[in-house]
Amino acid sequence: MKRELSVVIFVVLAAGLCAIPAFLTFGEPAESGMDQYFIGNGQAQAAANNIVTSVVFDYRGFDTLGESVILFAAVIGVGLMFRSMRGEEEHEDE
Amino acid sequence: MIEMAIHSLVIAGLIVSALMVFYFRDLLAATLAAGFFSFLISVEFYILQAPDVAISQAAIGAGLTTAIFIITIRATSRYEGGNP
Amino acid sequence: MRMSKIVRTGANLLYPFILIFGLYVIMHGHLTPGGGFQGGAVVATGVALVIVAYSFEEVTSMIKKVGMKARESIGLLIFIGAGIGALAVGAPFFSNFLAHSGLLFGQSIPSGPNPGDLNTAGVIPIMNLAVGIEVWGGLAIIVLYMLSSIPKEGS
Repeated sequence: MKRELSVVIFVVLAAGLCAIPAFLTFGEPAESGMDQYFIGNGQAQAAANNIVTSVVFDYRGFDTLGESVILFAAVIGVGLMFRSMRGEEEHEDE
Repeated sequence: MIEMAIHSLVIAGLIVSALMVFYFRDLLAATLAAGFFSFLISVEFYILQAPDVAISQAAIGAGLTTAIFIITIRATSRYEGGNP
Repeated sequence: MRMSKIVRTGANLLYPFILIFGLYVIMHGHLTPGGGFQGGAVVATGVALVIVAYSFEEVTSMIKKVGMKARESIGLLIFIGAGIGALAVGAPFFSNFLAHSGLLFGQSIPSGPNPGDLNTAGVIPIMNLAVGIEVWGGLAIIVLYMLSSIPKEGS
């Protein structure tokens, strides 16, 4: 019973995944007005030739701040986890 | 025409390297196959004209993930099911 | 345990080239594809190559854990400082207050296709450098922490 249910769920999900490209055309996002604004005005406003970088660091700078803070939190988590596992060895350098 | 040939070659390489990851019993070889899989994905991103994503995939996927797996293999055993 | 002599010599040979390429990707982030995160990840890959090739005791004499931690914190502080610096001149938070100003990185560029100049784009190169230093330190310290947790007599 459980096995048949999982097979049915898998078939439904696979069919849905295969049906998505039939409805969406490749390379056409739903809203393209904002893209045209960035491409047209990005060079004059941010004075950078690379539009992708000016979007990442200028127009969406706050999101990049969140990304950096997430990396910082990940490093803190890894440090806490492996510090407790390391025990009392002689390379406690700080 | 030549783009289509490179494209299908890369996708065939992706499938073959993914199967290699599954079939290797030597975990170091499986890790290198996973690194090659990431490298082929980065080539695919470059063909699809996304060089930013290609650089991050080549650095994170093919470089750092392989390094972390190699360190893990160093701490545990190299072969599946213990050393032969 | 450490890798064979071939791997160690190759790592020593490749390390400066990977470092220079990563710093190039960081510094030219506003002109060519790439940027802070990508360039920092490339540099961290070079550091991880050296970390994988040597044992922990040899690595700690070459790559200091304190230095990597300092890079991570200083990078994030410079990034937030560049965002707060816009408040000091009366612009909104994270606005590009150095562009077209004639100061550091303040040159204007002509519209349309052009080869570009390194001295443009306002705070974007500063933020690229900050994020690059932060990702360099952060990803390297993760790999270093994982190596430090291996027991000394293991395998």
